[in-house]
Amino acid sequence: MKNTDLIKLPFSKNNPILVQVLGVCSCLAVTAQLKPAVVMAISVTVVVALTNLIISLMRNTIPPRIRIIVQLVVVSTLVVLVDQVLKAYMYDVSKQLSVFVGLIITNCIVMGRLEAFAMVQKPLPSLLDGLGNGLGYSVILIVLGFVRELFGSGTLWGYPVMEKLGLYSIGYENNGLMIMPPMALILVGLIIWWHRSRNKDLCEQ
Amino acid sequence: MKKNFSNSYIFIYSAVLVVVAALILTVVSVSLKPAQEKNQRAETKQMILKTIGIEATRDNADELYAQHVTEADGYYTFSGGIILPMKGTGLWGPIWGYLALDETSTVVGAVFDHKGETPGLGGEIATDKFASRFIGKRMDSEPIHLKKNADKSNPYEVDAISGGTMTSNGVTAMLAKAYEDYSTLNTKH
Repeated sequence: MKNTDLIKLPFSKNNPILVQVLGVCSCLAVTAQLKPAVVMAISVTVVVALTNLIISLMRNTIPPRIRIIVQLVVVSTLVVLVDQVLKAYMYDVSKQLSVFVGLIITNCIVMGRLEAFAMVQKPLPSLLDGLGNGLGYSVILIVLGFVRELFGSGTLWGYPVMEKLGLYSIGYENNGLMIMPPMALILVGLIIWWHRSRNKDLCEQ
Repeated sequence: MKKNFSNSYIFIYSAVLVVVAALILTVVSVSLKPAQEKNQRAETKQMILKTIGIEATRDNADELYAQHVTEADGYYTFSGGIILPMKGTGLWGPIWGYLALDETSTVVGAVFDHKGETPGLGGEIATDKFASRFIGKRMDSEPIHLKKNADKSNPYEVDAISGGTMTSNGVTAMLAKAYEDYSTLNTKH
């Protein structure tokens, strides 16, 4: 596989959420608003890329019998680092993400890419694979966060868009279902539907 | 996968790995601690100010706090009465809050927070919607308690959170404890 494909494919044909169906739980949980969605996207991308790189550098020294434990130690160390940095410099965001930051450790994308890619590939392709998958995950998160915050709360990044447009005065109301997790699942379903209809080769027979 | 690793290699490998990880985490934790503690102190002040109706940002919390709140032994006072701190346990971890009471022991403001209650269920105690249910309730002859389908006109009952029974019970216990503290405080004065 070419290096450019490692970045490009996760955006569409090998998207971690749409095609590999990994990392869906966090994608439902943090996308009620745009800001936590973006922060989660950045955090996961950083963690996936760096763990992929580190594990790939270590891959020849890792005894296969304890490889999962080694992966977990590396992932959790990095996640705790991200968590500590957020707490120190982006406290509000860290509060909103609270439990989800810890959940990056169990985000299937991280372990999935480590097992499937970084354990058997050279460092550079592994870094790119991690970046690609992190960004592919980010795109879906940001789209969901955008739609859900705009129609659920009438704001974008906390800015009252709908109010400024004067829609409330002519009878517009926010859709309460948008901020509930089930709506995220429905939206992901719609995106997968649209995506499959554009990429017929992904459809199961 | 290509090589065979001996048992002693595996032991040494895991030991070194864990020590290195621990070292990195210790260094980071120690170096970031001052910034984190500053955030936490500011947040506590923001919470206390919120019970008396003052919305502070993290930057002006110190200043507003100094203007409006006085710290006493185990509680706080403001121009209209006192603010009781509360501590308790929810379902998954600690919960805490502040209750502002005027001279007639009526709640003028409340605020709650939690470490790790389930978002959307027990986590709802941190919302303004939940905290506002306490306004106008009383802490004079008995503590306020949480109840399903509470009678809104009863000054000692507050509607519990649906799907958050364990957290609600924690809040009730926390309020009972605060009531005790408040009673001893009143007999002292």
